[in-house]
Amino acid sequence: MQQQQTATLTTIFSEVLANLAFMFSDDEPAETPPGEVWLETTIGYQGPKSGNLCFWCTRSFSVLLAANLLGIDPDDADAESKADDAVKEFMNIICGQLVTALHGAEEVFQLSIPEIRELPESPELLDEPGAEESTLSVEGQRVHLAYAPTD
Amino acid sequence: MSQDVLIVDDSATIRRMVRKTMEMAGLDLGEVYEASNGIEALAQLADHPVAVMIVDINMPTMNGIQLLTRMKKNQRLKDIPIVIASTEGSKKRIEQLEEFGAFGYVRKPFQPEQLRDVLKPLLGVKEHAAATDGDTDDDLF
Repeated sequence: MQQQQTATLTTIFSEVLANLAFMFSDDEPAETPPGEVWLETTIGYQGPKSGNLCFWCTRSFSVLLAANLLGIDPDDADAESKADDAVKEFMNIICGQLVTALHGAEEVFQLSIPEIRELPESPELLDEPGAEESTLSVEGQRVHLAYAPTD
Repeated sequence: MSQDVLIVDDSATIRRMVRKTMEMAGLDLGEVYEASNGIEALAQLADHPVAVMIVDINMPTMNGIQLLTRMKKNQRLKDIPIVIASTEGSKKRIEQLEEFGAFGYVRKPFQPEQLRDVLKPLLGVKEHAAATDGDTDDDLF
């Protein structure tokens, strides 16, 4: 069941990324250049069911995402200044879509305000069959997603 | 005649995307103001009466539902049409918004045409844009 939910999350992530930011994901392994700063973004929902989502990406991915969402060059100062905000809003949208996909559209769920923080080092992730995390490559960058029901 | 709009969303990225979408859609826009929550929105409205508001639900300090409820109780603000732009997909929530007096609803992520279609009856389109536009105005929720 958990694996199926993670697969749903991965599909939603890829669709929203493509539709909103014109960025495309695949399962090909991608290397993260040394010295990259990693960000961890979390959001949760509460209602008849509850759960948490977590997304890990590099600082340069967040800048690229902001640039694509805003239709500006990644070198534009606005892309960097809005990078955190872009990732948080992106996860807000993913969470809204995931709640409907997992629990239907009949009940009301409250989404939390997304939070983002820099990690002191590269995230340590599970890498085993049935794990609740998934790793994707987006535009040559490695990103990680995790979903955990909390009820 | 151009109409002023207030965008209320805690995400600066979304505010910018909505502004850009409205401009690209050829809507007849006047000034576009921004607020990052309900409290800021009420402060903006005190200084700038607007014709239309686009409001997110999930915001800190004062969320979109609280803002909508507060405005409907205020004689000066109750008739400003409010379009909700939110990630929420709950039917109950959307019915609730309709009962509270929201004019329309678009779910994020939305396509530019969806936002244009819900705003067009409120803002109208500039003449050159109207000539190429053939969409209908029904089904705003």
